[in-house]
Amino acid sequence: MKPNFWLFLVVLFLQVSFLKAQDEETRYGKTPKEVFPYENFQKAYKYHFLEPTIFYGAGREIPEPKNLKTVRIGFLGPLEGSYIVDLGTHMLQGAQLAIEEANKKGGYKGVPFELMVHNDFGLWGAAANEVVKMDDEKVWAWIGTIDDINSHVAIRATLKLEIPNLNCGDPDPTFTETNIPWVMRVIADDRQAGYALATYIHNKMGLKRVAMMRANNRYGRVGVMEYSDAATRMGFPFIIEERFNDMETEFKPQLERIKKMKPDAILIWGNAKESALIVKQIRALGMTQPLFTSDRVVSPVFLKIAAKDAEGIITTCQYNPEAGDPRLKAFQANYKKKFGVEPNVYSAHAYDAINLIMAAMNKVGLNRALIRDVLSDMKTFQNYQGITGKIVFDATLNDVGDIWMARVNQGKFEFFPTLPMGERRRGGKTRHSGY
Amino acid sequence: MNLIKSRLIAALLVLAFSFGMEGCRNAADNKQNMSKKSADAEQSAMTKRDQSGADGVVPVFGNWKNYTVEDGLHSDKVFTVRIDGNRVWAGTHDGLSLFENGKWKTYTTEDGLPHNGIVSVDVSPVDGDVWVGTLSGLCRISSGKFTIYNQFNSGMPNDLVYCVYCDGFDVWVATGGGAGRLDTKTGQWQIFTEQNAPMHEPWTYGVSAGDGKAYIAAWGGGVIEYNLKTKQFRDYVDPDGEMEIDLLPNDGVVHDITTATAYNDGILWVSSYFGLSRYDGKNWTGYFDHDSGLASNFINFIRVEGRVVYVCSDNGLSSTDGTTWVTYKKFDNSEDGKAIVTKGEEKKEIAQSPAISHNFIIGVDADEDELWVATSKGVSCGKLMN
Repeated sequence: MKPNFWLFLVVLFLQVSFLKAQDEETRYGKTPKEVFPYENFQKAYKYHFLEPTIFYGAGREIPEPKNLKTVRIGFLGPLEGSYIVDLGTHMLQGAQLAIEEANKKGGYKGVPFELMVHNDFGLWGAAANEVVKMDDEKVWAWIGTIDDINSHVAIRATLKLEIPNLNCGDPDPTFTETNIPWVMRVIADDRQAGYALATYIHNKMGLKRVAMMRANNRYGRVGVMEYSDAATRMGFPFIIEERFNDMETEFKPQLERIKKMKPDAILIWGNAKESALIVKQIRALGMTQPLFTSDRVVSPVFLKIAAKDAEGIITTCQYNPEAGDPRLKAFQANYKKKFGVEPNVYSAHAYDAINLIMAAMNKVGLNRALIRDVLSDMKTFQNYQGITGKIVFDATLNDVGDIWMARVNQGKFEFFPTLPMGERRRGGKTRHSGY
Repeated sequence: MNLIKSRLIAALLVLAFSFGMEGCRNAADNKQNMSKKSADAEQSAMTKRDQSGADGVVPVFGNWKNYTVEDGLHSDKVFTVRIDGNRVWAGTHDGLSLFENGKWKTYTTEDGLPHNGIVSVDVSPVDGDVWVGTLSGLCRISSGKFTIYNQFNSGMPNDLVYCVYCDGFDVWVATGGGAGRLDTKTGQWQIFTEQNAPMHEPWTYGVSAGDGKAYIAAWGGGVIEYNLKTKQFRDYVDPDGEMEIDLLPNDGVVHDITTATAYNDGILWVSSYFGLSRYDGKNWTGYFDHDSGLASNFINFIRVEGRVVYVCSDNGLSSTDGTTWVTYKKFDNSEDGKAIVTKGEEKKEIAQSPAISHNFIIGVDADEDELWVATSKGVSCGKLMN
């Protein structure tokens, strides 16, 4: 054989290695190699989100104002007119509790904190207008919101006005993928939820043919994306995708089409009320498949409506309310005492977000750019221990800390850890592929 | 390449002799007043859009004059600048400043503006009216009269106006709730949202127009092209469909999250927080900070003059015709900086003293002999050096 042939083989091998190479440590979003886009075929020309975006603008030199009567923190959430007012109310109450506790301890250098509350629901773009109002009110940072339709609109304004935003309720992965250096998130996103569900459904349970029933809105459309991509790359694309609208109550046409496809499992992505009705109607149609849902079903509303049909349903949740952390227990007790209800995931993350902002203020003073800097430096508050767990920022300033699974058992949600994506079932055994 | 070298040498010589020159747009140069609407304005607008840089040479600007609140500017945080004949508008966080006869004058809500946060300004090439996009409404300044447009008194899609662009008798806006086109002859708005245009959400950030088409920078939706004659849409998105990568170079717009568009002479430029794109009607070319002279991939705004696009990044100002790059940077903790001229592998640096006032660039405008820059810390004006 001619030497040129061997040389050709060596060059070919090197090229293939190069094309497929992306360092594991630089892989964005804790994405396993097997589901990273195009990873098995082509090295990308440019990988984004490998390093945090630095804010190079001015503003750090602005001195802290004197004679402030209050230190203002903004709040943006669905409080009126929205389908998810209950979620927004919980988020607001978590923030209020954090503010109240801080003020009892003396506020900021003796000056009380004040929450400037804004509703995110209104005409198109209303959320952006509310951020403008927050700038006029001279808030130092703000938290919120939940619906990605509104949070995306709001963060463009926060970029323009240079106000730090800690999101504590929107799991849309693209939220922090906007690369805006003023935007951080302290709640796990649907990328992590999607990976957790894909791992559980396909690797642990060995289910292959999944039907998707999702809300016909941005929460449903974008929420399922990462699960869908991951499942497809694992070899298990949806066999059918059906949609429903907010406030819809009759789902028979969609469910009958799903039934005809004889899926191994059904994944429902929507708000608690519609998801519960869908669950009931699935069972009423005699379908006994395992059911999986998105995070918003972790709610008393879901359990009440779905009742016994909720048994066995598995979902994800961005914290574990049953964790034994004394601070979490105190929060839960104080919350119930003050508001008369149990806190939920939004109240807990809002509590963490407000406390994080106040800790940043105490560290660097009242200066928006400095507050942004210290929150996003990947050192000072990296691994911040909130009541929801450890907050771990990635390069997009997104929280890639733990997410949890939840299962309905005897009318209650039970929480358990997610599985690493590499754990897959093979003939009853599991193997670890390194993730 | 010898041509570039000789131009650089010439530029350096001019720089050496030009320190101490009078500031931009001094009193002797300025004759217009606010109410003046003249053929000058129209001619100026035409000149800016059609002639500057038309020879394909990327001009180098220097002898910077910087303006801050100490010089009469209303606020140091400046979102936009627009040359208007012999005067210059600067939209700041706290008001609209006008540089005329060597002095700054400021307009606020007390004068009739809907909000003091001025994000975008354009001047009608038809009648010289000034259109002001604010954080809470659009304002037309005509013969000293301020007319406010908002969601409630007109068909405007949203009050937060990120970009305003005058195209003939049309005034385009990109807002937090969709794009809008105001026909100033009829007073009617045409709205572009996810309801009637190929965008998932009505989040628009920039708009420009030319040759019978409008180009809307749709946040997360790439670029929406609208043909005014056929009323047909065409959308341009990142072909790989992924947020975290750009799979192949030159395969389309570099990212779906777009921040501005600029069109002239058959070339469409598109900015994003991930790089810059150029489309000649047939081929796309992508530019990143690692493979071109681009100052940074995080681009706030772009404006095209002739064949040259001016790129406002978070870490310097770049200009290019697609081949040659001129990037302006200020040194940290110094008034000085440099202009970096790049063409292929060749790179030259020209010392500048003073430099632009800040590296965080938010707005820009250029004409034949001046370059005005809105930054995070004041306004800069540079004189043509080559």
